[in-house]
Amino acid sequence: MSKDTNRLMGHADEADGIEEYDNPLPDWWLGLFWLCILWAIGYGVHYHFIGNRSQEAEFQAEMAAAAIRWPVQGAEDVVFAMTDEAIQGGEGVYTTYCFVCHGTQLEGGIGQSFLDEVWLHGSAPEDVIRTITEGVPEKGMAPWGSILSAEQINQAAAYVLAKNAEALGIPLEEITQGSGEPEGSEGAHEEGSGEEAGEASGEHSEGGDPGTI
Amino acid sequence: MSQVGTTAVPTPNYDDDIVRKFFGATVLWGAVGMLVGVIIALQIAWWPANLGLPWTTFGRLRPLHTNAVIFAFAGNICFTGIYYSMQRLLKVRMYSDLLSKLHFWGWQAIIVAAAITLPLGMTQSKEYAELIWPIDIAITLVWVIFGWNFFGTIAIRKVKHIYVAIWFYMSFVITIAVLHIVNSLVIPATLFRSYPIFAGLTDGLVQWWYGHNAVGFFLTTPFLGLMYYFLPRAANRPVYSYRLSIIHFWGLVFLYIWAGPHHLLYSALPDWAQTVGMVFSIVLLAPSWGGMLNGLLTLRGAWDRLRTDPILKFMVVAVSFYGMSTFEGPMMSIRAVNGLAHFTNWVIGHVHSGALGWVGMMSFGTLYWLVPKLWHRELAYPKMATQHFWLATIGIVLYTVSMWVAGLMEGLQWRAVNEAGQLANPIFLDTVTQLLPYYWIRVLGGTLYLTGMVLFIFNLLKTIKESGAAASGEAPTPVPAV
Repeated sequence: MSKDTNRLMGHADEADGIEEYDNPLPDWWLGLFWLCILWAIGYGVHYHFIGNRSQEAEFQAEMAAAAIRWPVQGAEDVVFAMTDEAIQGGEGVYTTYCFVCHGTQLEGGIGQSFLDEVWLHGSAPEDVIRTITEGVPEKGMAPWGSILSAEQINQAAAYVLAKNAEALGIPLEEITQGSGEPEGSEGAHEEGSGEEAGEASGEHSEGGDPGTI
Repeated sequence: MSQVGTTAVPTPNYDDDIVRKFFGATVLWGAVGMLVGVIIALQIAWWPANLGLPWTTFGRLRPLHTNAVIFAFAGNICFTGIYYSMQRLLKVRMYSDLLSKLHFWGWQAIIVAAAITLPLGMTQSKEYAELIWPIDIAITLVWVIFGWNFFGTIAIRKVKHIYVAIWFYMSFVITIAVLHIVNSLVIPATLFRSYPIFAGLTDGLVQWWYGHNAVGFFLTTPFLGLMYYFLPRAANRPVYSYRLSIIHFWGLVFLYIWAGPHHLLYSALPDWAQTVGMVFSIVLLAPSWGGMLNGLLTLRGAWDRLRTDPILKFMVVAVSFYGMSTFEGPMMSIRAVNGLAHFTNWVIGHVHSGALGWVGMMSFGTLYWLVPKLWHRELAYPKMATQHFWLATIGIVLYTVSMWVAGLMEGLQWRAVNEAGQLANPIFLDTVTQLLPYYWIRVLGGTLYLTGMVLFIFNLLKTIKESGAAASGEAPTPVPAV
């Protein structure tokens, strides 16, 4: 601004009396303008032609880094344990994550009810754990394996199974051993559930009727 | 009809009646728009304020607020300033009084139509372009009337040199016409419903090309025009640099039109288009600051008057907020910063530092300066103008700072993960309820700003009343030439 001439342009009579100085552009302002222009060109060239960056590549890189640091929880990483502590912890998990779809009283809503004998994806602990971990994306059930820890998944499974047993009046021990059928239409908890208690639950889940999924 | 002149040269017979009309509309719609703003701010902090009625819910009142403050308040103050200053800068009465009147009444009818249709839920669902197609056609017609009158007046001007304020007004008239017509291209289905001719991403890009340039050419260039006329008049100082005014004008109008895609960073928009939006926004910093510099440096030699003159106080704060928000805007358009700021209250804070700070304060400075010119009477309560200034300034600070804090909290908490790689704040509602204190601070800030507006209206009505009482007895006070 030291270069200011403060010489009037002489337009005032044509601008309702407003005078204008014939001052040069402030150097630092002109420098800022050129800096911005050069940076814009440099950034564009670097982003697209030198760095070959893209938002897709940025996403892939972040996902790859996260996959190494935080491997996604698999259903096989969850060890089922039906303990009082697990059930209590599960209540916290349920009321944080699950109740929105499955209801505050487990009565269902967007998702299935846990108060009846219908288990669309298997009622064996392994099945419930797999359903929680991997989700049922086509029905809107999110895969919680990347969000909940193995312990939290076990807690959630223990909680809903215990609550289900309570609602149906089934002894808890039968649940722990896996009493469920993977499909509800045949009535997994019908009169025969007690006899099936000893059966390997894995069989049921693997043989689950795909037609009902 | 002829005005009382003090000089030997006959004063042209300027049409100040239309200026007073637009002035009144500015004040009326400004109060309504700000009141609705405070109501919807309250609705966010305290949901029962939605009243449980479809017409009064946030979703319908929010577009009413934005349309009222942008197109009714800001639009009418632009027309007020343009009709006052262009006649004097071009030394000629408006080209056609009929067109002036059609412009005025047409524009107010559009505002009334907006105030009816938006609460009824009739909308095109495009931000800042919500109005349904019959109103869009009315806007086009009224804008053509305004443009015809505007360029007609330039064509019959009595001076050769066209002052820089007129250049900024021209960019307003031309660009808003182009933006409005292109973004409103729809196929009508019924009287109240239509479908855009653009689909999907193209529609989004057209929308934000429109949306950002509504900020650029409705809330920036006409207000720079007002600054170039009313600030040197109020300060009684020469404009700092003629050259700077030319360079920053062309820089601004060339760069602004490309900046829209910065609203679609990290979207389905191709990367190259995102880069264009981002880098043009960055370069826009310099021409924007050119305007701020020319405004602030024009005040050299008049800074002492800032202590006493509320008009200059309003204008200096306006120009300062212009500089602040035109720094913030380019910064927020950087990909990495946008990733944090997008969808948070920071954006709302940014908009309002521009809207309340730049647009609002420039408007108040202009309005206060015009009162004695239009009603030939000094303000009834000069000190009240200073009180208005402080209420508005404190209101803006509370608004923007609370929204900065709220926005940063949201942005940081949404992306935060714990040591297990899980979302640290998995329940979205938790990130919402923690904002309540800041929402209440915003309600307070908006209420202070609105209170200032109420003081202004009270002051204005009292002044006009006294003016009316005096008009029968004495001649209007001659306005001293600067």
